[in-house]
Amino acid sequence: MGTFSRRKAGFERRHWLFAIAVLACVGVWFANVVLDEVRPGSDWAIGYGAAALALLAVAAAYGLRRRAMKVASRRGGSSSAWLAVHVYGGGLFLILVLMHSGFRLPSGWVTWWLWILSWWVVLGGLGGLFLQRWIPRLLTSGLGVEAHYDRIPELVAGVRERADKLAAQCSPAVQEFYLRSVAPELQEPRRRALYYLDVTGGIQARLRDFTHLVQFLSHEEAESLRDLSRLLRTKLELDAHYTLQLPLRWWLYLHLPASLLLVVFVALHLVSVFLY
Amino acid sequence: MRDDKPGQKGSYGRVGLPVATQYVVPKRRRAMALVGALAIVLVLAWLGFDWFMGRGNLLSNGPLSSSHARLETECTSCHSQAERRVTDEQCAVCHEKYGDALGVYSFGAHYVYRSDDFRRLVPSEHEVPCFSCHLEHEGREAAITAVTDRQCFDCHPFASLNVGHPEFDFAADQLPDLGSLAFPHVHHVREVMKEEALEDVERTCLYCHNAQADGRNFDPINFDRHCDACHLAATTATPALPVRQEGGTEPGVDSLETIVARGGPATRWALYTNPNEFRRRGDSVSKVPVHHRDPWVLENLRALRLRLHPDAGLADLLTTTPEVAESGYRQLYREAIVTLEEQALGLRGRPEPEVQSDLTKISDLLAELKRVVEEPFAALDESQFLLALARPNPDLTAEERAQIEALAGELTQPCRQCHTVTQATIERVQADQRVLRRAEFDHRAHILETRCLDCHGAIPIADGARSTEPVDPAVDRAEIQNLPTVDVCRECHNPQQATNACVTCHYFHPNKGRRSDLLLYLE
Repeated sequence: MGTFSRRKAGFERRHWLFAIAVLACVGVWFANVVLDEVRPGSDWAIGYGAAALALLAVAAAYGLRRRAMKVASRRGGSSSAWLAVHVYGGGLFLILVLMHSGFRLPSGWVTWWLWILSWWVVLGGLGGLFLQRWIPRLLTSGLGVEAHYDRIPELVAGVRERADKLAAQCSPAVQEFYLRSVAPELQEPRRRALYYLDVTGGIQARLRDFTHLVQFLSHEEAESLRDLSRLLRTKLELDAHYTLQLPLRWWLYLHLPASLLLVVFVALHLVSVFLY
Repeated sequence: MRDDKPGQKGSYGRVGLPVATQYVVPKRRRAMALVGALAIVLVLAWLGFDWFMGRGNLLSNGPLSSSHARLETECTSCHSQAERRVTDEQCAVCHEKYGDALGVYSFGAHYVYRSDDFRRLVPSEHEVPCFSCHLEHEGREAAITAVTDRQCFDCHPFASLNVGHPEFDFAADQLPDLGSLAFPHVHHVREVMKEEALEDVERTCLYCHNAQADGRNFDPINFDRHCDACHLAATTATPALPVRQEGGTEPGVDSLETIVARGGPATRWALYTNPNEFRRRGDSVSKVPVHHRDPWVLENLRALRLRLHPDAGLADLLTTTPEVAESGYRQLYREAIVTLEEQALGLRGRPEPEVQSDLTKISDLLAELKRVVEEPFAALDESQFLLALARPNPDLTAEERAQIEALAGELTQPCRQCHTVTQATIERVQADQRVLRRAEFDHRAHILETRCLDCHGAIPIADGARSTEPVDPAVDRAEIQNLPTVDVCRECHNPQQATNACVTCHYFHPNKGRRSDLLLYLE
């Protein structure tokens, strides 16, 4: 209980700090509008750009921390704190980039890429944050199985093997049913978009065939059929994991290369600004 | 529905999936870093290719405006090789004529602002380079000459025409009109309306105030065009004036014959004057008609003035008094130059040694005056013209001075209907006084919205024109500046109505119109 209270309080403090930072940006922006012309080359805009650069460096430091154990082992704050700085700093970075450009569309090749990459990286990161919050909750809300993504093919093979053995011991009617309706499903893990909308995605509908057939079987055969049903259910839940864990694995491919490219373009932008 | 019971929910559900026998090694995601690195390499390669191919415009912040589009592939046209930054010198390569004393687009030209007063050239700490106001790389359609008012506020600390703008100088300093003519507007408007059968008062204004071709301003009032029809008729005559006697002490005028016989500088006009214009009666002479700027009247007036102030100096080269606004000092020197050149023209070809000596002195003086006029930073003042008039002839008694001034008054009697004569000199009439010199006003743009007397209401012309009552000279005289004050402008130029931006009336580069003169550029 005490731990939950402390976590809740920390979470709210981050929100407040971010809100204050955004309000500060809004206040500074209005001061800029009143006191000076809003354009990318003005002193105000250079200030926004410098602040955005600092935030970008801080956000990028999270990635380094994860990979450099020496840094991680120092007393630099917890991983969750670093993540919070990465997330909120990144959001603030986008706001400062927009303020730096005067909320105008860019006109040059480098600045266009900077603008696009800034949006891409930040929105991609926020998207990944959302996925990391939503998908685990989804997975634990309606499934009875937990499985490591990389093990799912192996586990599906194991389920198929056990189902084959079980079906071989059943009557021809059950075997025929197995071969027609169950075995194709157990061949390999499958992804279905339906799981994003309903994590139990059609599982009950698929198991209804078993319910219909079981009433025509003897007690022993019915028990075997129920075991087959449970194996099929497990496989379908593994499919749900297979489907829903994929974005968790792959969203970083959208975020990380683009963020590396963003850093390079920022460097180019700095070079051109100072050089010219 | 989940098919588990308390205590049975585990990693592998009811079917009891096998625990992994070996640690499942997560797949490496080096591909992410490789994709990013590959993208970076491609970008840098593309940039390098662009750079070494000599274009280097991928780093450009955007396309240039259409007026500079031709330079887009030549970055060094504006970005100097050494400093890379855009410098004013780079802009000046195209936008300044080599040898301009004050660059048309320089801060110096802005400080002086066509006033010819180079004492105003005091550099400000707020000077900024050209590109600070004229932003490039904003695309083809960008209006790089459209500069916002904020750029003005660093030096001019008021927000707009309506907030903090000072009163116009002529109103704030209560400067009188320097016309020096006795000119009641209402009387003249009534006369013109009667003569021309006009009903509209404003149309009467245009009878004398003739707009220039561009409609911005009006031609200066000119006697020959605007006054000659009514003034100095063929019967206008001087009173009978005593003729100066050789060796006499009484003041008098020189007859035409005397002037012709005497010759001398600037008397060539006497050779072409009709002797029938003079009526001689004994020792007196009168002239009829008297012309505007009558050379006989002016020559005799000059002689009388020399008797009052023998050390006339440069003042002797002027036909009127030298009082001008500070911006007009250069004009005095130019008038003196014209007089000297006429004098030199009259003396050339005469072999007499004394004439040649005079010619040499005239040439030296001419050269000096021209040097002063052409030197932009020369200290000009009217004192060289005024000083002589302050030194009266010590050989004259007060009674003699009074006699000479009285004769000067009689000589200029036809002139004094309009002109003022002091110290035997006609006061200068400054027909074209640009009081709002640091602003640009276009009459054509305004006349579509308002009428003349809506703004020029200091003299009650509209009321007086339709009345027959005499008008108090205190409210209708030439010294009144019949110009709108800043409050009159604010009636229309305010945030709700016509624009009140600085650039509506003020150019930062006041002389940029000269850039359109190709001959000037090709000199």
